[in-house]
Amino acid sequence: MDRESKSGQKTFINERIIIIAIVIAGFALQIAAGPFDYSIISFPVNVIVLAVMLLLLLVKPSGATGRFGSAKVSLCLLAIITLMCLYMGIVANNGVKTSWPFVLTYLLILINIILVIGKRIRQFKWKDYGFYLNHIGLFIFLFSAGLGSADLQRYFMRVYEGKVEWRGENTKTGELTDLPVAISLEDFSMDMYPPKIAIIDKRNGETFPAGKPSLMESFEGSSGNIGEWSVKVDSIKDRPGVAPAAYIIAKNKNDGGTLAGWISCGNYFQSFKTLDVSDIYCFAMTYPEPKRFSSKVEVFTKRGLKKSGIIEVNDPLTAGSWKIYQYSYDSNMGRDSEYSVFELVRDPWLIPVYIGIIMVMAGAVTLFWKGGRK
Amino acid sequence: MNWNEFIFFALISIVFWYTGVLALYKSKSKWLGDALIITGLLVFAGFIVALWQSLGHPPMKTMGETRLLYSFFLVLVGYVTYRRWRYKWLMAYSVAVSTVFIIINLIKPEIHTTNLMPALQSIWFVPHVTVYILSYAMLGAATIGAVIVLYKGTEKRMGYFELIDNLVYIGLGFLIAGMLMGAVWAKEAWGDYWTWDPKEVWAFITAASYMLYIHAPKAGISGKKSLWILPLAFILLLITWLGVSYLPAAQGSIHVY
Repeated sequence: MDRESKSGQKTFINERIIIIAIVIAGFALQIAAGPFDYSIISFPVNVIVLAVMLLLLLVKPSGATGRFGSAKVSLCLLAIITLMCLYMGIVANNGVKTSWPFVLTYLLILINIILVIGKRIRQFKWKDYGFYLNHIGLFIFLFSAGLGSADLQRYFMRVYEGKVEWRGENTKTGELTDLPVAISLEDFSMDMYPPKIAIIDKRNGETFPAGKPSLMESFEGSSGNIGEWSVKVDSIKDRPGVAPAAYIIAKNKNDGGTLAGWISCGNYFQSFKTLDVSDIYCFAMTYPEPKRFSSKVEVFTKRGLKKSGIIEVNDPLTAGSWKIYQYSYDSNMGRDSEYSVFELVRDPWLIPVYIGIIMVMAGAVTLFWKGGRK
Repeated sequence: MNWNEFIFFALISIVFWYTGVLALYKSKSKWLGDALIITGLLVFAGFIVALWQSLGHPPMKTMGETRLLYSFFLVLVGYVTYRRWRYKWLMAYSVAVSTVFIIINLIKPEIHTTNLMPALQSIWFVPHVTVYILSYAMLGAATIGAVIVLYKGTEKRMGYFELIDNLVYIGLGFLIAGMLMGAVWAKEAWGDYWTWDPKEVWAFITAASYMLYIHAPKAGISGKKSLWILPLAFILLLITWLGVSYLPAAQGSIHVY
């Protein structure tokens, strides 16, 4: 624990003034220069900044710069960044993350962490491993995620079935560029959850009973109760290119009356079909929701790498330094979509990010295991 | 094995867990409580394994299945924490919360009616959510402790400081672990480990406010003064957990539930 003398108190006032001055300068820059442009810190600038920051490890803790590594400064910066994030978390379209005050505070935090590490390393003890895991890990993560993000490349690529594509649309600028990666889409496929059957109010399309809709799954032989009707699915039509449809037999539990007929949710070229219960209500089918969608692809890189595989949500494909994600499809056509949209990401700082994450994760375990101060 | 048989396994486990907790408090035996709790865990694990085999995939897909795992891991981690820190009440607390999840599963199983959107179908889903819920439980307990000390004064309650600090450290450890698992998952699902979407912003705010608490004494702020941070931090936590979807910044976000 730090014991700071009265002169320490005084100098902390100086540090506080400097921090506030830097944040105010940030606001001034924001007004004068507009939002922060991350591309100005792209390689090699971020690497130079990193080298300078690492030099701070050598700074004397008691000197004017070294005192920026005090716990009071850490606390002050944490409070400032928390306030900025509160604004970010409440106000829509806030632009905080591209604002100068935010970026400068972020840099000050990095400087503070590196000075704290430098201070502690002078009294190195193995039993402080929890401290080192947390703080070095956090520094690596914050640096790579923050300053490294300037080197991130991200493109969307729309590929039609049976075609090859190598042009990508920059997700920020919308510009179309030739990429060093080409994708050939062999097949796009999609599994759906079974569509559901409901009684809807024809006047407003609301599901019955209002507010607490009663839905039943439709697959061959399924049965259920909706309101006073006991419903049985007699047969199902469900194949690519055709709108899902179900032949249902509904029995009214009160008067024993029976209704039977086809209902369908329709699709991009077939219209929907309902079965009237009364002038107001009818049986209808909801649109099936996607359960899983995936693309069978072959990927080529300029360097001659060839790789085939299946890309789906939560399961990207790595080709060289690129990661390829299943992003989207033609949502009007659903499972009959003739194209698949991929997101291609190249992040040269990803490995340090993961190293930082693993270190902080291990540090979190020490928090759990060692508990608070005694 | 299917869900119809869940009630038997659940009831047997619950009986073992409650008598186990009772034994921790009342019995002089050093091993009786432990043995009962472990037996309850084994019975519960037996159901999960059997269900896993009959489904042919890990039971992590539906809401009901994730609640099944919560119920198990809550008691398991509660027990491990009890072994480490000897907080009997924490053991009792985790068994009680687990029971709530079991009852929800018995009344409203949601075992096939819930459609899990593709982005949620990941091995990270369960650990990410479970670890967060555990963290919330610990930090909730720490908040209760802090309020007691702030209300009744510190004189006779010095022991509480150690307890509260332990809970905050453990809770923050889980909170950070949950956040980082979320980051790794987000990278797999959305191509980015951190996008400052509203849920992430609030998760960061929550973590930062607990970091303020654990760094405060190092900056010379007294324990009593820094206790005020905890109720505030817990309000922020509740906004993160339950309130984000109502905020203007979250309109259009995909990270709400």
